[in-house]
Amino acid sequence: MLTTIVIAQLPVLVLLLVAGTVAKIWTAARESEPGALSKLGPAVLVAERWHTPAMLCCAFGELFLTVGLLMTDYSFFRWGITAFFAVSTYVLWELRRRRPDVGCGCFGEVSATPVGLRSLGRTVVLTAMSAGMLQAPGATGWSMLTGITWAHAPAAIGGLLVLLALSPEIEEAAARLRYRAPCEQRPLDTSTALNRLRVSKAWQSHESLLSGTEPIDSWRELCWRFFAYPGLSHSGEPVDVVFAIYLSGRHPAVRVALVGIDGQPIKAKPLPDSLPVSA
Amino acid sequence: MPYRSAERRRVLAAAALGRTVQDPGPVSSEGELLHSVTGEILDVSPHLIVIDTPEGREERLIIAPWATAWRGEAVSPADLPVGSNVIIRALRAGRVVERIWADVTRMTGVIQSIGTDAKDRTVELYCGPHRGQRTIVIPYGASGRLRVRHPQFEPGYLFDAIGIRENGVTHARLPATSQPPYRWTAVPPPPLGYSSVQSRISGTATWSDAFDFDEQGAAYPMLERSDTACDEAGVSCAGLPYLSLGSMLNVRNVCAGRTSVLPIVACGCMAGRFCDRCLECGTSPRGRIVELSPTSFVELGGDLTNGCFNVRLGLG
Repeated sequence: MLTTIVIAQLPVLVLLLVAGTVAKIWTAARESEPGALSKLGPAVLVAERWHTPAMLCCAFGELFLTVGLLMTDYSFFRWGITAFFAVSTYVLWELRRRRPDVGCGCFGEVSATPVGLRSLGRTVVLTAMSAGMLQAPGATGWSMLTGITWAHAPAAIGGLLVLLALSPEIEEAAARLRYRAPCEQRPLDTSTALNRLRVSKAWQSHESLLSGTEPIDSWRELCWRFFAYPGLSHSGEPVDVVFAIYLSGRHPAVRVALVGIDGQPIKAKPLPDSLPVSA
Repeated sequence: MPYRSAERRRVLAAAALGRTVQDPGPVSSEGELLHSVTGEILDVSPHLIVIDTPEGREERLIIAPWATAWRGEAVSPADLPVGSNVIIRALRAGRVVERIWADVTRMTGVIQSIGTDAKDRTVELYCGPHRGQRTIVIPYGASGRLRVRHPQFEPGYLFDAIGIRENGVTHARLPATSQPPYRWTAVPPPPLGYSSVQSRISGTATWSDAFDFDEQGAAYPMLERSDTACDEAGVSCAGLPYLSLGSMLNVRNVCAGRTSVLPIVACGCMAGRFCDRCLECGTSPRGRIVELSPTSFVELGGDLTNGCFNVRLGLG
């Protein structure tokens, strides 16, 4: 029974180690702006110029231990993973004491929430799981993984649920998905707005007034994108034809105005009188 | 795409959205208006100052008995040297001088390099794509109070100080803020946005001398890069909405209770990198949300040597 539970934790451990490795490498590699790692542990515990190397060192250490665990049956790797999580627990404890404003960095920039009891609890559970692996029969991790049956599933799912419950990254990820920045604060592509303008009725009804097909100016204010075109009014005087496209929604509102050189809006040509219809 | 003019954009946007074109200027229903007068001192006495304005006019202004002046330090108005460039805050339709700042300048940018001289230190600042590089000198006598507010005195960190221009050299005298602890490229992200943007946003207003002489207007950080040819715009920790050059801002100095309607005339990319607070009257929410021209800053009741005031911003 105990052996079943211990072996069932292997895929969970491997999954977390691989996810941690990938997230750390991704965070360190896309750090286009220096200083972005200054809010993530354990890099923050070393001098600034060592932030990226420390993050990468941690990631490659995890990768080395994971590969060793999977490919060999040396007890060194099992002890190594146990020691890794035990040291991580101590480092997080120190991080919480010395830099309570920074996140653990366990999964790169997703782990930006300040270290709390849940993060500490997670490393304690991971230490216990990896210590349990010391009791597993001597075989490569891969052979144990391939030997896992449905009988191991409840224990594996249980272990995963415990770790998910202890992961503050879940709330962070949910908040990012749930709260979308309002339209006024989102960077939005000009070409998308231009494409939407060109299929609108306002464009089709005013296209004949335009002297050119390319806008002479374009700017954005809040959730509106403006395009100004050179044109001629119905009476033949030069005007600026300005379109305003709302940047949100599938069928956005489009407004149009003709403005003379003097800055005065020019009223659109009145609609022709309707023809009388005989009964 | 060629950028035309802020004024034209304002007119076109108003026509398209059916709103009235608002004229820039102070909102007059709030006590006596403050006026800003700029120029070069031609003559000065304890009671009268004569200046040559940028338009070439000679202005004779009365100095109020309570008037004060600043030129690197507090001085008597009569001690200001002839030839100094001054910004004057004036009352009574701009005829009575209340406060004078002489040869004042502000150095806001990113530290690029620091000279190795033992005493007066030369610092290269990067002040943004529109403002370029700038060389300043930190005199030995001012280095203590500047360094205590700029603990990260090394390339890549932000610097903001107020000083004077003397014989073509810029000398820093006062720290304008407490230096943000992050590098200029690692500005903290704004708080998560919810359903819609608030109609009024509170934060910090500062000033910059990168505007044209006597220009009324503001620089705003949250502009689309493609519209403004400013590759570093669109960064702020305050959760600002996107606006454009030509948009009108309703700027209220919360500390002095004065309001002006001002056009956005420049890219405030460097102001957006500062995630600091103003302590002029209480603690402002974090983030520089607008950077004003010296003239507009003074007319809103700001003190150039303090460097900031708490502001509430709305769309004009």
